[in-house]
Amino acid sequence: MNRLVTVAEMTLRELLRRRGVLLLLLLMPLTFYLIRRDAYLGQSVRSLLLGVGWAVSTAALFATTAARELEPRLRLAGYRPHHLYLGRMLGLWTVGLVISVPFFLLPMIDGADLRYGGLAAALLCSVAVAAPFGMLIGALLPRELEGTLLLLTVVTVQMLIEPAGSGARLTPFWSSREIATWTVDNTDQGYLSRGLLHGLVVTALLALGVAAVASVRLRRRRHLRHLPVG
Amino acid sequence: MNADDWLRTLTAELHQRRVAADAARHVVAEAATHLREGGGDPWVVFGPPLQYAGAVVESIGTAPGPRPGPVRLHAAGITKRYGRRTVLRDATLTVRAGQIAAVVGANGCGKSTFLRICAGLMSPDAGEVTVSGRLGYCPQSGGTADFLLADEHFVLVGAGQGVARGPARRAGRAAARQLGWEAGGDVQARHLSGGTRQKLNLTMSTLSAPDVLLLDEPYQGFDQGTYVNFWDQLSRLRDAGTAIVVVTHLLNQLDRVDIVLDLTPAHETGWHAPGIQGGRP
Repeated sequence: MNRLVTVAEMTLRELLRRRGVLLLLLLMPLTFYLIRRDAYLGQSVRSLLLGVGWAVSTAALFATTAARELEPRLRLAGYRPHHLYLGRMLGLWTVGLVISVPFFLLPMIDGADLRYGGLAAALLCSVAVAAPFGMLIGALLPRELEGTLLLLTVVTVQMLIEPAGSGARLTPFWSSREIATWTVDNTDQGYLSRGLLHGLVVTALLALGVAAVASVRLRRRRHLRHLPVG
Repeated sequence: MNADDWLRTLTAELHQRRVAADAARHVVAEAATHLREGGGDPWVVFGPPLQYAGAVVESIGTAPGPRPGPVRLHAAGITKRYGRRTVLRDATLTVRAGQIAAVVGANGCGKSTFLRICAGLMSPDAGEVTVSGRLGYCPQSGGTADFLLADEHFVLVGAGQGVARGPARRAGRAAARQLGWEAGGDVQARHLSGGTRQKLNLTMSTLSAPDVLLLDEPYQGFDQGTYVNFWDQLSRLRDAGTAIVVVTHLLNQLDRVDIVLDLTPAHETGWHAPGIQGGRP
């Protein structure tokens, strides 16, 4: 447990020291919200949620790429793969939750009339999905540029795809969009349940994907035999 | 280099060359007295400290080193190919507790690959490695976190071994001091100079008190004093029973090691290091 917490703490410390990144993390969802503010409120809130998701995914991608050289030596220092990826995920979820707070308050200050419980649930889903999503891309694509471009593609698809179509459900942030509809348009409970279920399943699948890649990359190699000191 | 630095370098060199402690103290005290009473530049009076240490060793000999202990690392028949190119062919190395092995060879001959295979960070196409005890690894570069302080690196590595924060910090600072570096500042790793960052890298690899220590050209960016401290620390670790493997291209250090593994393909050079253990046939 101590190892897990230490990795989470160091991830948090690293991110908090990247002031420029933090600023951009806050700026991105704010811009997304403001750019749609004059239009329909639903679009504005959905953009805000997508902005939070994208910001946290990007932070996760960069944190994963930055740790690539360090992790093998931490493995040798006594960490198991799950200490490393779960610790990092915990740290990223914490950062995500912290940056979500002002964006929960923003529509409130703006005087938006919506279901704030729904907004909180949608933000939670965005953050929950975004951390393992960015980590998985970072684990699969070793270079930041490729990872960022892939992330950009996914988010663009997410923005442009017809939300009612079946393909939309395959996009990672569909859950928060669905919950946002319940939040803003006062639709039936089905939107909320579907959204929460989707968020849960996608988070679990992405976390499993991260676990699989990390376990392969940081595995004990067969050619190496460890003997106790005799 | 002033007289004090010169004497310090001489002391380290005599220790490195395993001159008996009493005899080394006597030689250094005698040189210090001579310099104090006669004055003059030690470089003019005695010559370079390494050369003078060599003359002392020739004159009074060295103390026998501790007998090597049990085998700690055994790499046998290591072969690695990248596509059609065979980088390592049947490389073999055995290192016992209390020995330093140098892995040498031309650029691109697979020195770092061999070390990464020994550390279990990369799989070979053939061969196996047996390690007794805990493994420490220092990469050629990278291996640190840009936005963390040195103390935080020590805490992170220490937690892997279940070491509490305070002791991990103290152990890290003490190990850094052996390299002439006071590590307890609030400077992030990205702001450290290349050499200091490499000291952090090296300190991290020794922090878990490994039985087998693998170092991939760890001295890049070191100044002369740190370089001397580095070899001094390796000697201390060797004397404490650590099996050490150093990738190096600096052939002038080969007299300080017990085993040499030359990975240069035989057709490229006729040179064979003393104590050669394996490598390409």
